[in-house]
Amino acid sequence: MRRKPTASYIVAVAMLLFAVLLAGCAGSADGKPVLHIVNWEDYGSDAPAFVAAFEEEYGCKIVNQYMQSEEDLLTKLRTSKPGEIDLCLPNCTILTAAIEDGLLAEIDTGRLKNFDSLFDRFKTQKEVMLNGKYYAVPWVWGATAVAYNTDLVTMPPSSMSVLFDEAYAGKISFRDDYNDAIMAAAIVTGQDPNSPSDMEAIKEALIAQKKLNRNYWETGDEFTKLFTGGQLSVAMMWSGQAASMKLEGEPIAFVVPDDGAIGWVDNWGIVAGTKNEDLSYAFIDWMISKDFQYDWASSGGPAPVNREAADAVDPEYAAAAAMDEASLNKLYFMEYRSDEVKREWNELWTEVKAAN
Amino acid sequence: MGEKRRWLALPGLSVIVVFAVAPLFAMLYFSFQGDSPGAGFTLDNYTRFFEKQFYLSLTWSTIKNSIYVTLVSLAVSYPLAYVMAKKLKGARNIVLVLIIIPFFTNQLVRVYSWLIFLQDGGIFESALASVGIVNGPLGLLYTRAAVVIGLVHAFFPYMAITIYLALEKLDNALLEASASLGASKFVTFRRITLPLSRPGVAAGVLLVFVPCLGTFVEPRILGGVNGMVIGTVIEDQFFRIYGWNFGAAIAFILLAMVLVSVSAFSRLGRGESRE
Repeated sequence: MRRKPTASYIVAVAMLLFAVLLAGCAGSADGKPVLHIVNWEDYGSDAPAFVAAFEEEYGCKIVNQYMQSEEDLLTKLRTSKPGEIDLCLPNCTILTAAIEDGLLAEIDTGRLKNFDSLFDRFKTQKEVMLNGKYYAVPWVWGATAVAYNTDLVTMPPSSMSVLFDEAYAGKISFRDDYNDAIMAAAIVTGQDPNSPSDMEAIKEALIAQKKLNRNYWETGDEFTKLFTGGQLSVAMMWSGQAASMKLEGEPIAFVVPDDGAIGWVDNWGIVAGTKNEDLSYAFIDWMISKDFQYDWASSGGPAPVNREAADAVDPEYAAAAAMDEASLNKLYFMEYRSDEVKREWNELWTEVKAAN
Repeated sequence: MGEKRRWLALPGLSVIVVFAVAPLFAMLYFSFQGDSPGAGFTLDNYTRFFEKQFYLSLTWSTIKNSIYVTLVSLAVSYPLAYVMAKKLKGARNIVLVLIIIPFFTNQLVRVYSWLIFLQDGGIFESALASVGIVNGPLGLLYTRAAVVIGLVHAFFPYMAITIYLALEKLDNALLEASASLGASKFVTFRRITLPLSRPGVAAGVLLVFVPCLGTFVEPRILGGVNGMVIGTVIEDQFFRIYGWNFGAAIAFILLAMVLVSVSAFSRLGRGESRE
């Protein structure tokens, strides 16, 4: 009697393994090609309605695996076998590393019928190129700039230095992020935010700024709590979250000040060694199409790279969400950072936070 | 019999070796690795920590947090444990359950409750204002005091329970003998109760002080702009910039501090019980 449960246990495990193996093959078993994508979770490109429409149109199956961070994506690309991943979604801080390591396939933009509709800024974005050839296609972008409480601040701030202004002492919130902190301080100290030369001036500015803060925020939720409690006049904020808070009726406005702010871009790349090249092109073309970009941007998504989609968005909403061309042209887009720069910036930010 | 059953420890031991000891050695290996590929063995990660003044001041600030939390926990726990062990009879278990409740609460829920409770215009401020103690914003949230409050709530149960167990073992006959020989209550406490509960206090201090050194959630959420602790630096290294080597080195420096305090506190407990 004693042995019996063990034997049936082994049988059960074996059957389970068999079932898992079967499930693993199911994608190709019915003859449909499978498009493997490394994606952000809940980020438009994995919306069930879109996935169903694309699968129907091209007779394929989409399998998303989600990344936890940009670094995580880079690791996934470096450790996967050719053909395991078809498409991925890097931003500019890791793109250069991915291209230089030969992880991404060259892209023939002539095969994307919607590429011509992109803003010039994105058609010529240098991070997606190496030696004049394309290795990724810009998809959506956004700004990290200044949000303010319209009940407490009447004039829209015209400079990033409002976040360093003693007049708002105790009613400011700065982002707890080394990249955003240093880029903002570089703008205020009149340096190139992507390669500042005087790190000492940045450190001093940030240490002086520190005591003006109500708090540093890290997650969007922390910001919302402070803001809705009426504890903030001005703050560093993301365009997308400010726009959706405004839609919910909060007295919030968002502005990209005249001296600039921080911009980010997410890009689609085709992974070197893909066996689904045509499908991958079709996917990217769909992603940058006017219809897809308009639908997502006007329903709370980030800003579109497609000019026709941007023009179609309600101008008032576009301005509130800083997805208009005027805002776009004022942004300093985050560029590739080497590990060494990341370490140096992170250490400076640690020193600021440790200062008394 | 005892000899033969030793193999019973094998499952537990192998779990410890596979999931705790082996990863620890992997981390130790990382902490001696340079950041450039093929750099080989280096002490750079450790020297970098000790060269930068702000890492040291951050470490000291973290230690101060732990000391405050330990002292407040002791002040709260000893009287509580004494009353539970010597005065309460039936209600004892109810109090014990109340003490253990923080253990069952998710850390983030606990911290956010304190956030809401302590914030300006929050429940605590309104309560104090209604009895006229404060007038205007309390300014308690985003200070070291808020961090200490949050951490005491998280860790004092360890202290209260270890002291309670020590006091419960204490034979009441000793106290009665002391009283019958004419000792005052204070002298009895100082000469009998306190020395005999010392191992419990030492264990409690250890169980509060050590985990406090590594926490980073409470300081970050309740501490505001000055909420940085050494645990935050480790977290940043691992999750933000993938600086595993430096992160591992700081983790081992923290571990060294823990081992020093463990040996100090356990000597404290042992020394007294031998007398």
